[in-house]
Amino acid sequence: MIPGFSDIARPAAPRAPEAPEIMQAFVSRHLSFLVLIVVLLAQFLFLAYQVTRKQGGRLLQVWALGAFDPFERSVEGLTHATSGAWQSFYDLSQAQRQNRQLLEELAHARARILQLSEAGVENARLRDALNLEQRLPYRTIAATVIAASPGTNTAVFIDKGTDAGLSADMPVITPEGVVGKTIAVFHHTTQVLTITDSSSGVGSMLEKNETEGVAKGTGEGLCRLDYIMNESQVAQGDLVVTSGLDQIYPRGLLVGSVAQVSNGEVYKNISIRPAAALDRLDTVLVIAGPSIPGTRASSKKGRP
Amino acid sequence: MSSQTVLPLAKPTDRPTPAYSLHPAAFWASLFAGMLLQVSLPLKIPLARLFDFPLILTIYFALIRRNKIFGVVLGTGLGLLQDAFAHGLIGMFGIPKALVGYLAASASLKFEMDQLGARYVLTGLLVCLHRLVIAGLERLLFESPPPFVPLDLANAVVVNIALALMCFQILDRFRHPV
Repeated sequence: MIPGFSDIARPAAPRAPEAPEIMQAFVSRHLSFLVLIVVLLAQFLFLAYQVTRKQGGRLLQVWALGAFDPFERSVEGLTHATSGAWQSFYDLSQAQRQNRQLLEELAHARARILQLSEAGVENARLRDALNLEQRLPYRTIAATVIAASPGTNTAVFIDKGTDAGLSADMPVITPEGVVGKTIAVFHHTTQVLTITDSSSGVGSMLEKNETEGVAKGTGEGLCRLDYIMNESQVAQGDLVVTSGLDQIYPRGLLVGSVAQVSNGEVYKNISIRPAAALDRLDTVLVIAGPSIPGTRASSKKGRP
Repeated sequence: MSSQTVLPLAKPTDRPTPAYSLHPAAFWASLFAGMLLQVSLPLKIPLARLFDFPLILTIYFALIRRNKIFGVVLGTGLGLLQDAFAHGLIGMFGIPKALVGYLAASASLKFEMDQLGARYVLTGLLVCLHRLVIAGLERLLFESPPPFVPLDLANAVVVNIALALMCFQILDRFRHPV
């Protein structure tokens, strides 16, 4: 036999796959699962990074808000226009009936004007005495709530931003009470964190005895008042107002009322129902100026 | 036992099932409308806080495209966009929606998901999973996570199945085989 002939005649043994080929086959077979793992891992690492270095405004937020802001305003405008048109139609149908009624009342009113003129003079004098300017001694900016933050009911977006002079950590109120504070301010939009958010804290005190504590959000539409000793006198319905110690909220703004109270180990467990209707926010006021020093007494009268 | 008796609602497929798609304009318009409704409706309807339009869209498109990578990418994109509007950490919605997109696409490859019952059972399971993953992340990352309320989970599942009932029927009118 010719040397080496047997090697030629023998069928070639199947070649064992090499490591790179095995890897390539594995990747191509499980590509979608690997993509999922990479995506989840990347997001999880980014989450961990944010937890340690959490900040207010993010670039992604700026982009997303810039793209959606005009449309959010359009939806809000369309809603108002529709409701306004319906209201106008309704008002028109009522106008004729009211016109007749008003003509009759006008005759009566003219007769009463003479009687009330004396009371009117006295009323004007009393209003001057109250000095209404001091009822709300802060510079405020009115804004409309245009969007809610998805997945949470503890933050909203309003339609004013740096263009209106807003900045972070400004108190936001309604005539009923404290809403929260600004946290992320963009050009035309601002994100407001409400006092019921679990990361929110408001320097507060009981109005009746000025016992000071911190009102923290529960994330469930309520707040709790921490650091009130068991010995303090607290009853259901007691009013809770801002203490001013947090350097954000001026002293004397109404936060809410005590909904439940019970004794804890050292401190009382106090649940507060916010005074402002945080689930039905429409128009809010942003306190843009510092509170006027020494307005404690007057701010009680002008409390929102 | 034959493989066809494994699950009455969603039988394992024994024949190639077609993938569907929407016209690109309809696809992007539905995503845009979903995000817009997600941030606008809660201001008008308190119940809408339970709605999760991005989740419903992720499930729907992953189901009809039958492509796992597409499901992951779509879920991640919508979740991150939702994160951008939320007061929270970027990724809290991205992670569960990527997972949901993957699982929905996987289910569509293994089972016949054109049956209405199968679709809504799967939607309920994925809504439940989505909420549970978020709750798990909150417990893992936050020092004082918000309390987990099973009743809220049940409400969210029921409400979003009802939402899916409407959204899927609307979107089905625009789909066509790939």
